[in-house]
Amino acid sequence: MQRKRPCARTLSRYLVLLLVGLTGCAELSRKEAPPQQQQPPPQTREIPSQSASRIYVANESSNSVTVIDGLSFTMIGTIDARNYATHDLALSRDGTRLFATNLASGKLSVIDTNALETIATVPTGSRCHVVTLTNDNRFAWVANIGEDNISIVDTSSYRILGTIPVGQGPTGIAFSVDGKFAYVSSQGDKSVSVVDTTSQEVIKTIPVKTNPHFLVLGPDRRIWGTNTGENDIYVIDPATQDKIATIEVGPSPQQIAFAYKGMAGPYAYITVSGSNQVVVLSTDPKNIRILEQIDIGPFQAQRPNGIWANPEGTRLFIANEGSNNLLVLDSGTNEVIATIPVGRKPIRVVVSR
Amino acid sequence: MRANRSIRAFCQQRQPGTARLRLSLSVGLLLLGSLTPLFAQNALLGTAQTAIGTLVVIRPDRIEDRLQGKGAIQLYEGDVLQTEAGSQALIEIKEGIEVALNENTTLKLFYRWEKANGVTQILRLKQGEIWVKTGPGPKQLEVETPVATAAVRETEFNMKVQDDGETTLTVMQGTVEFGTAFGTCPIRTATISYGVRGKRCTKPEPVDVQPTRAWLQGLGK
Repeated sequence: MQRKRPCARTLSRYLVLLLVGLTGCAELSRKEAPPQQQQPPPQTREIPSQSASRIYVANESSNSVTVIDGLSFTMIGTIDARNYATHDLALSRDGTRLFATNLASGKLSVIDTNALETIATVPTGSRCHVVTLTNDNRFAWVANIGEDNISIVDTSSYRILGTIPVGQGPTGIAFSVDGKFAYVSSQGDKSVSVVDTTSQEVIKTIPVKTNPHFLVLGPDRRIWGTNTGENDIYVIDPATQDKIATIEVGPSPQQIAFAYKGMAGPYAYITVSGSNQVVVLSTDPKNIRILEQIDIGPFQAQRPNGIWANPEGTRLFIANEGSNNLLVLDSGTNEVIATIPVGRKPIRVVVSR
Repeated sequence: MRANRSIRAFCQQRQPGTARLRLSLSVGLLLLGSLTPLFAQNALLGTAQTAIGTLVVIRPDRIEDRLQGKGAIQLYEGDVLQTEAGSQALIEIKEGIEVALNENTTLKLFYRWEKANGVTQILRLKQGEIWVKTGPGPKQLEVETPVATAAVRETEFNMKVQDDGETTLTVMQGTVEFGTAFGTCPIRTATISYGVRGKRCTKPEPVDVQPTRAWLQGLGK
């Protein structure tokens, strides 16, 4: 017992010295530390990534959707629509859901754009042709050519909550800026039906010409449409529900997008399938005229159909159903800056924000 | 069964050491196959069993099959079922759901597939009147009319569509989620609601369901 005491004492001394030493070091460190200063809070605002933009192309004969990076123009993937004859596309405002009509199946495919897969198929009607989302994105309106009606699809439950009888062979849908009216072009009737979205009834029928097809809301708050069976396009003013302008652009005009040319614009860019051109128009309905006719043949492109502008209005994406590719056109210089192979018979192109 | 036996025999004969792994892979693939949605264009959805008068089944290729009296006509997606004046019919669709068609009724069969929820059977009632009774347990069934949709789990109900699309829903037992583009109303036992174009379905009102059943007597329901 007595032998252990000196050892314990020695250990205790070492421990005390160690503690004193550590305390001293801590004291020294405290003295050498620079005075604390108030730091500004870190920046939490994030700059949206440009690379988030995506291009989606509906390939009718491949039954698929090609996904392309909007910045690098490289292909991200191909989504099987799990249906037949994928024709038209509508993208939700948040970019997470893509709705695709499938002509041959008569069904709407719902695509999860994050997972890049079809997550639902909804039977709408025979020869479902185009799909447009209501302005609040709660419903997808689908035009069924074979049934002369519009299916109203709930974009959350995917239930069809009603159908609206319209003209014969509906092929185009666009909504007014306030969402109070829908415009539905009908091939068989050579007309555009104006639908009151509250009563869900046709309140007026506007005669146009042969085979009216695509409809889109323009930056002038008017509805622009193509007569694919003729050579012209037309403009409808929702204020009067009348056709206020028309102009010949060439054989078989297909779709319309709006973009700027440097400081000038916006201009209407129309794919004219029969002449293999993109025709550029002024958008003033009182002085609507052709400004340019851009031949796309030299760029290995045939039969342009789908066209969409990037949100900035500086690039146009043109889907060519005859050459199975997508052209990226710089609207400022009319220079083709990329040609991207896609699936067979690309019909429609949409771009996320 | 024969396929399973073949797989087992193959595993035992060729590579006993990896037999279990191969069997697991095979079973896994079979299970995966069973979870794959019904994308085939000729998915069997039910059977037409009884017709008073004539039930006409119009196939997507426009071929017409007719049922008179008892029978078992298989029904596929896209088939249109029609009864004329004086005709009624009884069909059974998957999961033991009974559907009766009154005279002058046109009904089309579909299904909706969702990755998250599987397959929902859809009856698109274009005109006329149907009665639906689901068996025990929750079901995924919807009845669409021109102005409204009824989503069903475990119920018995009657739906009638007028020429303008106005839809009358009478629930005999259970709850039906009755919706238009303007809102959804839960309709419960012994109540009635109406769906009209451009409006929300009406507030449910109590109703004696026996008169609604009257047309079903000929079909033994």
